[in-house]
Amino acid sequence: MHQSKAGQPVHFYRVAGLAVASEIELPGAIAVPRTAEPAVTIRAAAVPAVLEGATKKGATWQIAGDRFLFQVPGVARFLLSGGREIVFETAAGVDAHDVSIFLLGTVFGILLHQRGEIVLHASAVRVNDKAVLFCGASGAGKSTLAAALAQRGFSLVADDLCAVTLAEGTAPTVQPDGRHLKLWAQAIERLDLAERRGAPVRNKLQKFFVEPAAALAEPLPLGAVYALREARPPHKPGIERPNVVDAALILRRSAYRPQMVNRMEQKADYFRAATTIANAAGIFNLTRTLNFASIAEVVGWLEQHWLDIGLTEKAA
Amino acid sequence: MTRTVWLASYPKSGNTWLRMLIANLSATDRPADINDLPERGGIASARGPFDYLTMIDSGLLTHDEIDALRPRVYEELARGAADDEYDQPADAPPVRFVKAHDAYTLTPNGEPLLAGARGAESAIVIVRDPRDVAPSLANHSSMSIDEAIVFMSNEQAAFCSRLDRLHNQLRQQLPGWSGHVASWLDQADIPVLLVRYEDLQADTLAVLRGVLAFAGRPADEEAMRRAVAFADFAQLRQQEQEKGFGEAPRPWAGGTFFRRGESGAWRDELTPEQVARIEADHADMMRRLGYELTSARLALTG
Repeated sequence: MHQSKAGQPVHFYRVAGLAVASEIELPGAIAVPRTAEPAVTIRAAAVPAVLEGATKKGATWQIAGDRFLFQVPGVARFLLSGGREIVFETAAGVDAHDVSIFLLGTVFGILLHQRGEIVLHASAVRVNDKAVLFCGASGAGKSTLAAALAQRGFSLVADDLCAVTLAEGTAPTVQPDGRHLKLWAQAIERLDLAERRGAPVRNKLQKFFVEPAAALAEPLPLGAVYALREARPPHKPGIERPNVVDAALILRRSAYRPQMVNRMEQKADYFRAATTIANAAGIFNLTRTLNFASIAEVVGWLEQHWLDIGLTEKAA
Repeated sequence: MTRTVWLASYPKSGNTWLRMLIANLSATDRPADINDLPERGGIASARGPFDYLTMIDSGLLTHDEIDALRPRVYEELARGAADDEYDQPADAPPVRFVKAHDAYTLTPNGEPLLAGARGAESAIVIVRDPRDVAPSLANHSSMSIDEAIVFMSNEQAAFCSRLDRLHNQLRQQLPGWSGHVASWLDQADIPVLLVRYEDLQADTLAVLRGVLAFAGRPADEEAMRRAVAFADFAQLRQQEQEKGFGEAPRPWAGGTFFRRGESGAWRDELTPEQVARIEADHADMMRRLGYELTSARLALTG
C-alpha cells in the first residue's frame, strides 16, 4: 500500500479510456505509469451535505451547474466537478476499500455521463478482434455470462461499465473497465471458479472479485450488443434483432445510469448512438432462462450467432 | 396528481387477482392481457426503480442499507417521479395501485420502510384464511406444506433475503402470517381498508365497488361488471395455460401462478395435524379476522 502526502495522487489508472490520478488505491482498475496531466483526479476532502444552488434533486443526489453531489448513505459522499474531479468524504468507520468499489462503478459512471459520453451498463468479452457487450440491470446476469465465456477462452473486456467512443469515419470503440469480474458466492460455486476467487467486493458482501483467465486493457471495436432478458412470458427464449425504435429504447435503457441520460439531456445522443451501433455492429435481444443450468446452451446460441453475423468464421 | 394506494398482502392472498380486476376496468371488448396490463403500478420491492432513482447499484448494498434508502424511493414515486421500469401511460389514472408484500416495518433508522403517509395515501389490505394460504404458498415457493406452515410462523421469514446471490427483487420481510397482517392493521400512518379474499370471492362486484370507492378511483357500474367477468379466476387460469404468466414462479419448470383460487380447499388439502398447527400458530389473528377455528379447545386456549 502506497502512502500519500495530503493532496498527492500516487495511484494512476486508465478507467474507461481516461487517465485517472487517485489518492486511494482502486483495486481492479488498469494501472498505468504516472501521468502529468490526468483527465480525472480523485482525492479525499470535506464534501458538503447540501449543494448550494441545486436545481435538480433526487433521493441520493443533487445537481448545481457542472457540480454533482452524490451520496451512498453510511459509506461516503462524492462531489463531482466538471467531469474532471471527484472529491470524496468517507463516513465514520468505513474503510477505503468500501469507497473504491463505488468510485469505480456508480461514481465514475456518473462522471462519464457528466462528460457527455455514451456509457453502458454492460459486461464485455473479446470475440476475434471485437468486443461483444451484454447489457442489463443489476441481477440480469451480465457478469455470470462474461465469466462463463471467459472460461471458454474469450478474454474479459469489461464487467460492469462500458464506455463507447463514437467518432466520424471509424467503428464504435469499447473501452475496458478493469481486470476483474465481480461475482456472487453462488455463481462462483456454480461456475466452479473458487480457485480464481479474490477479495470480497465489500467486506459486508458475499460478492467477490474473480480474476478471469485473460483480461484486456486495450480498447476494441464494437462487435455486437446484446440486451439480456429473462425468458418470462411474453418473452420467448432466443436471440432476435429488434426494430430500430426498440433498439434505440434498449440502448437508452442500457445506459449506465438511465436517469443521467434524462438529467443531462442526452436522449438525442443515445438515439444517435443506437443508430450508429445498430448499423455498425448490431443490437440484439438475448432472452434466456435465468438459471445456471441453461448457461452452456446460451453460450452455444451465441457461438452460432457470431458465425451468422460474421464475427467469427467456421474453423477450416 | 396521481395518488398512490398500496395493495398490501401476505403472498398468495389474492393481491394479483385484485390487481387484475382493477386492470380490467379499462378493458372493453376482451380481457386485459395478463402479461401486458394497462394499469400497472408494479411491486414495491422491485429492484429496477430503486436503482434507477438512487443511481446506486443495489447489488453493492446490504439488505439493511437498501431498507434505509427505500423510504426515499417511495416518496419520490408518490410525488410522480418516473421509475423507467414501466412505460408511463399517456393519461395517467387518478390512482396508482402498487402491490406490496412487505410487512409494514420500520427501517434501521426507525422510519416506516414504505414511507408512511409520504409514500402512499392509504392501503387496501387483502387477507386470506391461512389454511388456504399454506398449500398455495407451498406450490408457489416449491416447498412442502409443512415447510410452508413453518415459514408462516417464522417471525424472521422473508422473501429474497439470501446473502450469496442477487435476487430479482429487494428483500421483503414476512414476519409470520399473523405478524404480517398485524403490522398493516395496527400501523397508524395511513388509513386501511381490510378486504377478505373469501368476501371478494363471494361477492366480487360489491367488494370491488367498495375498494374503488375507498381509493377514490371512479368507475361506472358497467365497467365494474365487465372487469369482474374478465378477471374471473377461470379466465385468468386459462390465459396462463395458453400463454404463460410473466409473474409466475420458475416459468422454465412449468410452475403455475393461478392454482385453485378456491376458499376452503384446505379441507381436502391439509391433514388434521396441519390444520391444528396453523390454528394454534394463528388463533388470535384468525379470530380477529373472522376465520372460524375447527377446534373448540384451541378456540378457547388460543
